[in-house]
Amino acid sequence: MDSVAIKGKNFLGFEIEINTDNIKNLKQELDVVLSSSAHFMKNSIITLRFKESNKQIANEAIKYIKEKDIIPNAIVVDSKEGLNTDIPVIELKNIHLLSDKQEQQAATYKGNLRNGQEIRVNGDLIITGNVNPNSYIYATGNIFVLGKLYGIPHAGYGGDNSCVIFAFDLNPPQIRIGDYITRSPEEGVNPKQQSSSVFEVAYIESGSIVISSYDDWIKLKN
Amino acid sequence: MAGKVLTITSGKGGVGKSTTSANLALGLALKGKKVVAIDLDIGLRNLDMILGLENRIVYDVVNIVEKTCKLNQALIKDKRTENLYLIAAAQTRDKSAVTSNQIKELTEELKKDYDFVILDSPAGIEGGFKNAMEPADEVIIVTTPEISAVRDADRVIGILEANDKKEMSLIINRIDPTLVKKGDMMSKDDVLQVLSIPLIGVVPEDKNIVSYTNLGEPSILHKDSKSGQAYKNIVQRLLGKDVEFMEITEEKKGFLKNIVSLFKD
Repeated sequence: MDSVAIKGKNFLGFEIEINTDNIKNLKQELDVVLSSSAHFMKNSIITLRFKESNKQIANEAIKYIKEKDIIPNAIVVDSKEGLNTDIPVIELKNIHLLSDKQEQQAATYKGNLRNGQEIRVNGDLIITGNVNPNSYIYATGNIFVLGKLYGIPHAGYGGDNSCVIFAFDLNPPQIRIGDYITRSPEEGVNPKQQSSSVFEVAYIESGSIVISSYDDWIKLKN
Repeated sequence: MAGKVLTITSGKGGVGKSTTSANLALGLALKGKKVVAIDLDIGLRNLDMILGLENRIVYDVVNIVEKTCKLNQALIKDKRTENLYLIAAAQTRDKSAVTSNQIKELTEELKKDYDFVILDSPAGIEGGFKNAMEPADEVIIVTTPEISAVRDADRVIGILEANDKKEMSLIINRIDPTLVKKGDMMSKDDVLQVLSIPLIGVVPEDKNIVSYTNLGEPSILHKDSKSGQAYKNIVQRLLGKDVEFMEITEEKKGFLKNIVSLFKD
């Protein structure tokens, strides 16, 4: 039953992920899924996501979905080689921030990141300096701040929920990891009381972002 | 002579940019340097009032760049010292009346004859701010120990760093030692931890500033003024002298004063 999945995407509206190469299974499952969701998908941007192994059924799938009054705006595939269609194709290998694991590497930034500045990198991000309030850091991998982290970090940008955020002083107003987001408690906003002397790590555990001291986290991992 | 263009800015409004500009300009002039202060807050001019030169304005900075007057005609001579001149902002126009190239041209011209050209920047990070930044040799950032002012100062420093203006220093204005002691106000060190640029001065809160401004007499002219003393120290540091930072402490009440205040209450 897992051959179709509908996912909300930040900027793209909805993405229909197709995980089968059997067109008969696909049609059956589309009938079920779309019967309940077609009405709110009609007016939003729809993309279809295929794997390398099943992109040959793309045209048939598009035809079927169009019959349901839903017009796909684009197809998302790893590579468009061997795909022949009149709908725009987004190749994942061309999307900068969503690179493959093996391309990942660490980027280092020296100095303070100030109010209004932002950094975006593929792979891990290491900052030696402070990340001040109202700045933003995005990495497709882990984030390590050797200093204060008071800006907003997003580790695992693009959906990697296994990433962690480490800082000498971890005190951001929000933490974003992969598909998750959390905000800091609004009590006790006195900045003096907030700053802690313990190194902290933020990570995802059973569906929510948790923060623990570096010592506790390292024990947990081993 | 190769003068220096010193821009005073802050990001946030109301932290004391113009008061600082007036005091530093006057202080440097009283030390024998030839100084010209330019008010770039076009449309909301203040510097002329703080310096007490309001009723001498005939031509202003917009007149100069539009060449409706000669440079000399718009230079307003200070009434206390021969060494200080002011170029006032136009009040009937706005920030878009001048471009940063025009200001740069003007300061290049003035640098030939003056030791210091002090640019009083408007608040914000838009056009008027850019006009004041473009010609700067050195930037002084003024902040107060409030989180909003410090955040804005941080933003400004970030913009300047991105534009390779490395020569920056910080003035922390309106520190109130009583509030710092109680933990209700950020201390000098708290501010420096966030902004991490060299400190050139700490100015204590001074209730008399309001009346000094109304009178058009900057506090540096008043011998017994604590803020005046702080500005004097900053002037010394600008001139390359190593002056120790003033200890900012609560005003101590003597035994007698305590008794008097008992009766007053």
